[in-house]
This record gives sequence, C-alpha cells and structure tokens, in this order.
Amino acid sequence: MDHATHVFASVFPVPSLSHTTPTPVATPDLGYTAPDVSFGSPFTQNAGGAQQRAAKRLVAWSTATRFLSLHESHGRSLRRSREVDGALHYLLVGEGKSQDGEAREEEGLVEWYTNEARIHFAGSVRPGLRELWEKEIKLRDAWDLLEKMQRMLEQIQALYIQPFNDHILPFLHEDASSITIRASRDVQAVEAELVEGAKAKFARDIHAAFAHSLPRKRFSKTLSYILYDAGCRLFRFYNRHDGVETPSTPEPTRAVRERMTNLLSSLERVGLGGDNAQKAFAHAMNKLLDTFISSHYLKVDWYSKKPVVPDLKSWIENGFVPLVELVMECLRCNDGEVQPMQLKAWQEMGLVRLGRARVEELFNFVIYWDRSLGAILDLKEYLKLNGAKEHLRASFSRQVSSRLLHPGATTTYILNVYISIIRAFHRLEPKGVLLQSVARPIRRYLKEREDTARIIISSLLIDVDDENSGKFTSSGDLSYEIASEMSKPFAHSEAADDEFNWNDMDWQPLPHDASPEYKKSKVEDVIYFLLTLWDREDFINELKNILGDHLLRCQDLEYQKEIRLLELIKIRLGEDKLQACEVMLRDVLESRRINDTIRTAAMASTPHNQNPHTPEGRGARTPQPHRPTTSAPSHHILSTPRHKPTSNEPTLNAQILSSFFWPILRDDEFRVPAQIESLQKAYESRFERIKGMRKLRWMNALGDSTITLEFEDRKEEFAGLTMWQVSVVYAFQPQPSEEWVGKGKGKSQGVTRNVEQLEEMLDMDEGLVRQALAFWVGKSVLRLTSPDTYTVIERLSSATTADDNAAAAASELAEVQAAQTTTVKSQADLLNERKDVYMSFVIGMLTNQGNLGVQRILMMMRMMVQGGFPFGPEEVRGLLGEMESTEKVVSLGGDVWGIKKM
Amino acid sequence: MALSTGTRANGGAATVAQRLQKELMDIMTHPTPGITAFPDDENMTRWTATIDGPANTPYASLVFKLSMEFGATYPYAPPTVLFKTPIYHPNVDMSGRICLDILKDKWSAVFNIGTVLLSLQSLLGEPNNASPLNGQAAELWDKDPAEYQRLVLARHKTPEELDAGGL
Repeated sequence: MDHATHVFASVFPVPSLSHTTPTPVATPDLGYTAPDVSFGSPFTQNAGGAQQRAAKRLVAWSTATRFLSLHESHGRSLRRSREVDGALHYLLVGEGKSQDGEAREEEGLVEWYTNEARIHFAGSVRPGLRELWEKEIKLRDAWDLLEKMQRMLEQIQALYIQPFNDHILPFLHEDASSITIRASRDVQAVEAELVEGAKAKFARDIHAAFAHSLPRKRFSKTLSYILYDAGCRLFRFYNRHDGVETPSTPEPTRAVRERMTNLLSSLERVGLGGDNAQKAFAHAMNKLLDTFISSHYLKVDWYSKKPVVPDLKSWIENGFVPLVELVMECLRCNDGEVQPMQLKAWQEMGLVRLGRARVEELFNFVIYWDRSLGAILDLKEYLKLNGAKEHLRASFSRQVSSRLLHPGATTTYILNVYISIIRAFHRLEPKGVLLQSVARPIRRYLKEREDTARIIISSLLIDVDDENSGKFTSSGDLSYEIASEMSKPFAHSEAADDEFNWNDMDWQPLPHDASPEYKKSKVEDVIYFLLTLWDREDFINELKNILGDHLLRCQDLEYQKEIRLLELIKIRLGEDKLQACEVMLRDVLESRRINDTIRTAAMASTPHNQNPHTPEGRGARTPQPHRPTTSAPSHHILSTPRHKPTSNEPTLNAQILSSFFWPILRDDEFRVPAQIESLQKAYESRFERIKGMRKLRWMNALGDSTITLEFEDRKEEFAGLTMWQVSVVYAFQPQPSEEWVGKGKGKSQGVTRNVEQLEEMLDMDEGLVRQALAFWVGKSVLRLTSPDTYTVIERLSSATTADDNAAAAASELAEVQAAQTTTVKSQADLLNERKDVYMSFVIGMLTNQGNLGVQRILMMMRMMVQGGFPFGPEEVRGLLGEMESTEKVVSLGGDVWGIKKM
Repeated sequence: MALSTGTRANGGAATVAQRLQKELMDIMTHPTPGITAFPDDENMTRWTATIDGPANTPYASLVFKLSMEFGATYPYAPPTVLFKTPIYHPNVDMSGRICLDILKDKWSAVFNIGTVLLSLQSLLGEPNNASPLNGQAAELWDKDPAEYQRLVLARHKTPEELDAGGL
C-alpha cells in the first residue's frame, strides 16, 4: 500500500483494500419480505432477524478484522475507536459471538486472529528463519544462531500477542464474567481460568507455527550441541568429543551458566522448549557423561594408585545432577527433581562406561601392574554390575590372544605377563574364579612352549640380590619376576579351610559363575600357579635336569637356595616324587664332607709327594690346576672333584654323584694332565677305603679348575675353566722328549702344536679341541700360526695387532660356544644321539605288534627303553615322520602307524 | 653301563624282566637283519618275534611270526617258543610246536633271544630230518622239492591273513 492510498483510506475507509473485509459496508442486506408478510414494514423483523444479525455481524467483523489485521500493523498502535470497540464487543461478547455449539459455520474472531498470525508468520517471518537455517551452522556460531533466532521469534511473538492481549482479552474477560455471573464457585478463578485458557491456546497455536517453521532435526541437534558445549565449559572438560580446543584459560563458569540458562528459558518462552528440547538435552547428557569420563577419569592414577569410581559417583551426584536440574528447570519440565533411583541409575551408567573403557585397556593395566592398581580397583567396582564379568572375560581373552599368545612374544615375557595377570586378577577377584578362566588359554599356550619349564626353574634358582642382577634382566632366558617372587618369604596358609572358619568376618560367597566343584587352592602365591602348569612327572623330569646342571655349577657351598627350592616344590608336588632331586642335593652336600675327610687324610699320610713334577722344573710355563673337576661313578657314584689352591701343588676336590639319580651328564672322554690323573688315582684309592670299595668313574668333562700359567714375561691366573681347556693348554707344555727343541729354538719361541696332534695326545674330540683352542686364542695365550696350527704366545710384547684381532674374534666365538655347553645333556641332544636305537624300537614294535597308535608306541617306549624315554608324543611323531620319509613306516591315519610293506 | 653290570654281578637276584630289558636293548642297538622281537606288554614275559625265511630255501621271502614265553627261571630254563604262522616244516608240528635241541636239553644260559631266533632261522633252511615232527615233510624234503615248496606255500599265511583270521 502506498502512502497516498493510506491517506485516502484514513479518510474514506475502503474495505476492498484488505481481505479482511468480506462484504461491502455500504449495502446492508435487509433481507427479503417473506411470503404473506406485508412488505416494507420496518417492524417485520422477526423473519429477517437472522439476516439482520448476519449483516450486522459482517459489519462488525469487517471493522474488527480491519483493525486487528497484522498487515496494517503500522497503524495498530492506534487506540481502539469507538466503532472498533463496539465491533469487538459485538463479536466477542455480544450477539455476534460465534457459537461454540453445534453450528459453527461462523468463524470466531479469536480463531481468525490466530489464523491471521499464522499467515503473517508464514509470509513475512518464515523466509527469514529459513534463510537462517539454510546455511551450514558452524559450531562456534551455534550459540549466536540460536540466540538470534530466539530474539527474532520473541519479537514476532510480542507482535502477535500484544494485540491479542490488548484488544481481545479484555472482551473475553468481560464475556467470561457475564457467563459465570451466577456460578457458585469462586467467580474470579473461573474467569481467570477461562481467559488463561484462551490465552494459552493462542500461545500454543503460535508456538506450533514457530516450531513447524524450523528444521526440527537440525534445531534439536544444535540445541543438543549447545547444551553439550555448556556442560563441557561448566565442568572444564578437555579432550572433548567435538574436537573443539579447550581454551587454556578457563572461562568463568558463571557467565556460561547464565548464558545457557537465559537461552534455555527464552527458548522455552517462544515455545521451543518442551519435549524436543528435553530430547536434545538427553542426547547432550549422554555425550557429556562420555566426555566427562574420557576426559577426567580415563587417566589412571599411577602414583597414588587410587580408584576413580568414588570421584565419578560424587561428580554425578554433585555436578551432573545439579546441571540436569538446572536445565530441567529452565525447560520447565514437570518434575524437575532428580529421583534417588535415577541418580543411582546414572551412577551405574557412568560406571559402565568407565568400566568398558577400562576393560579395553586391561591388558596394559596388567602389564603395568602394580602401578595401575587404581584402574584395577575401578574394574573391581565395575564387576559388580550385571554382565560385566562376561564382558571383561571376553574382552581380556581377546586382548591376550592378540597381544600375548603369538610367536613373537618370548616365553619369559609371557611368564612375566602371566605373573602380572595372577597378581592383578587376584586383586580384582580374590576368589580366583575369573583368574582361572582367563588364565586357561595362557596356561595351555605356555605348556606348548618348550622352554617354559627351563625358564621357570632356572629363574627360581637365581639370586635376586646378586650384584649382577642387572645382567639377567636383560638376558632373555630368566624371569626376574619369578626370581623375586621366589625370594619372598614363603607364606604358609594358616587357616586349614576358609570355608569352615566361622569367625571369618570377611567371608564372601563364591561368585555365581564358579563351577560347583570349584575349590580355591589354598596356596596362593604365584609360584604355585607356575608349578602347576604341568603334570608332575614332566615337571620333575625337567627339574632334575636343571637342578643337576645348577648344582654342578653352583658356587655356594651351603646350597641354601637349592635346599629351599626343593622344600618348596616338595610342598606343592608331594615328597615322594622328588626322591631323585633329594639324592642329588644330598650328593653334593655329602661330597664336601668326603672331600674334607680325604684331604685331611692325604695331608697326614702323604705330604708333598703327589706331584712328581714341580712347576719350576717344567720350564717356561706351567699349568697349575687348582680345582680341576672330574667326576667318577662307582657302582652308583659319580664324582666331581675340585681343587683348592693350597700351595703350588695341585689340589683336587671331587663331587660324588649317584649316577642312578642324576640326569644323563656329559661324559666326553679325554686324557687329563698327568698331575691331575695321579691326584684322581690317589683320591680314588682313599675313597675306596672310606666307602667300602665303591668305585669312582671320573667325568672329566664336568670339572672346573683354576690354573696359573707362567710365561717368559708374565704370569696369569685363570679360574672357572673346564677340564678340556686345561688339558689342551697343558698339552702345550714341552714334552720331556722334545725339551731340547724348545731350548734350541730360543726362549721366545713358544711350543707349537696342530689340531691333529692335540687330538691324538689327548684322545679328545676334534670339536672340544677346537673349542678349547678358540678359548685360549681369545685369552691371548695361543696364536694361530698356520691353518690348524697354534703356538704359545710366550712374550706379550711380540703380540701383534693381528693377534689382538684374532683374540677378540676368538673370545667371542668361545663365549658363544661356552653358552651352548651345558653339563647336562639336553633333551634334543639325547634324542638325536639315540635316534637309531629309538627307531629300531619302533620298527621292532610295529613289526611284531602290528599297527599301533602314537600313544601306545609312546607308552611302550617309556616302559621298554632302558634308561627311560623322557619324551612326549611330539617327539614320537617326529621320529615316525622321519622314518616315513625313509620309507620304513607308513601312516595309516588317525595317529596310527604301521610298517611299510616292501 | 658300568652300573647295570655291577648290580647284576653283585645281586644275582636280577629279575627276569631286567635281563629281558637288557636283551631288548641289545637287539635294538645291534639289530640283526631279518629278525625282530618285541615284548607284548609291560611285564615283558611274552614276546612276539618275526623272522624272514632265509633266501635259497623253500621259505624265501616268507615272513613268520613266533611267540616266546619266558618263565621265572629264565635264562636258566629255555623260553617256550611257538610258530604262530602256520608252517610246513619237518621239525614243526601242526600247532606250531618246535623240535630243536637248544630249546630243550641243549639249552644254556648263554643263549638269548637273538641266538634262539637265529637258530630257528637257520633251522628253516636246514631241517633236522632225523627226528621229524612232520614225517611227510621230512620225506618230501629230499624226494620232491617241488611238491615240498607247494605245500609250504599252501600252508603259509601272511601276518595280515593271520590277523584277519582272528588270531
């Protein structure tokens, strides 16, 4: 409408200017004269009454609507003219009021106005809103956007509501009072109720229009984000899920809180609260909980080792719930109070989330046990919930199988982790049911590893307090964990049976998932779990081998650790099985006594006549065996002698071993230096005297000795040598027959020998000779002069760089070889060595007994082979496989084998 | 091995089982071609042996199973040896009993499983026709080698056939 029209219209109201004028004002319809009625009488109104009213109403309608029309809002601030007043009154209170009853063909003014507002909103506001929402909303703009929109809506709402309040409500009021004038009830209240009802209905209608104009999903998402954002800021989260960086300086939480409450309550005012907003808030809550847990509680308290569950619970109670209440209040929820039940449910929800997150990391916690105690305690709390155990079990088993039970993990590592698992799970669930089920795959896997038993037993024998303990943590074969576990005092289980201890106030029933026959083992420590990995027999076999090796190398003459270990194992496995080990231990202890006796006897009776050659008389250098060890069996006695450096004369100590009980030992044959041999003879004869003619068999390869070598320019002492090393270097002593050669060639020229000569002189295997030569080259005692030929380095000054290099290389080699040399024959060696015999056993068996299964073969082997068959089905299968490849036997399927027919 | 010899010499009470175990070990460490023997079960007193028929005899390329049973007085008394495989031979009767002097009065404690089986193997090629258990066989051995061969093959059963027969 242009200005001119307006001016005109203000003077001559032109109804056609607006749609609100349904009929022209000018020609009121006076109705028709009904038949048989006198025409034109002004009193004949009864027939035309309706028409009269209609016409009048139309006029009033026109006036009222024109006045209320939102399209002419410019002029609305005008007060109501009398005319308008009359029209409104007529329409809302007077005769023109639309009937609520049956016939509603007439549109009520209130409805019309509502509609009008809707149409106006659709026409002029909605496009603006749509534009607002059409763009992508940046997270940081979300607040502004919502606020802007809210302001806009609030404005428009005021625009709509004000005329309603000003011009319609008073009449409604009047109307209400006229209706209820005779009501017996409190007139005022009923009046107010009616009016409020109309008002609320209008507001509701407008709000519905607002709500429909918004993209509902995007709105609730944005709102949800706003709430989340506010939550994050209020609780100062970092590590938010939406990737928004947390400002380094904390914002004032009060401002955030105010902004949020303002926004929420004003949104509520324009009708955007309610269910939708509540749903959005629920989303936000959910996310908040997650974020909170991941930002505050996923961190494990590594130092004070405290659980975070109590904190979490108190946060939910004192931080989360108030926020929820605040928001609910802003959104005018019906019941803004959080019920205690709900609080508990939320705490549980929080716990579940925390627990799940923790379970995902459980393997790491186990590895970092016991610094991760806090996390484990959290999990303990989590386990109280329904379904938590199953989840933990499944998840942890998955982690274990993907991270632990693969070929890349060393056995030591697996053992260490297993120990951590035992400890951690013991804390997690003291009854051990959970441990039992998660440990099952690990135990099964450990059993399959060949070196498990060896590592466990060797580790048990290690001295933790040893100065070089640093060394063995780095070496892969020993587990420091086991060793330290071993050094703990042995806790005897005092209570005979917990289940019958009625005074136990901490008694707990078994967890519901324990099997009926589940019985918690009484002995609790880690060693127990390790020792029960195998069948007793297998374990004891391995124990025998390792203990034997260990006893022979042991330097502690009291054998305290060994005694302790044996006692410990006895408690676990029963005494009866450990007879052999006990005999071994007794042997070494006994040997000391025998040595003392024999030495005293030797001192007393034959002083200084044992050594026919004094070192001084022997020329340039003299090997001087201090503690050569050899071992000798009598009927059932082996011995390992040792020498004590008493004087220049060699001395000899023996260890007498009962061969029947010891594992099969190395018994390489070679000739020992003459001095030692004579000592052995003397020892033997004395021993026979003491022990009633029992015979000794010397096992030279097991000895260890200390010698001093004298060169032209130096004197060196070597300790801890093996006998073959001593024998080889002794062989470089000039023989009486060739002494003149040494003299003739001049002093600086050392004795030269080649490998073949040495083999012949010493009756020694070539392998051993070479090993010993490498050792001495490494010690700069010998020098390789030409292939297979070695010369003594008589003067160090004559040593060249080449010697040094060779020495370095050789000493490395010697070290490697020494590491491979054990006193006890390994299983694999044994199997290889006796393979032929075993094979003919198998052939004999299959030929005469027909086709047999592996188990049966194994059983027969165990019974029939003299000296025992210390192998399992795997080795038997290996043998059979090898024989199959040479076409001696044939697999008949199902683990059954037969002789291959020619 | 010094251990075991010593024990036996001293004690004299070495059980039959120990002696048999030693013999088993000897057989296994020094197997004789064409001869094997193995205990039936853990108590070692019953064995099954297998010998191949010697070449250039009617028994060439045939395989014979025998059962051996050792009494409590072994090695001072001979084991009871029977052919389990049906055999046509002058010195073996229809139920497998054997007539061999070293298994009867000529037994000596120096014999062992290996020597007994070797003797039996050679008995196949050189029957003692002077004291036959199977007179027909003793007669045919010299007179009609072809018929002898036929009867040997007719009577023989392979170990598989024996098993199938429910032995």
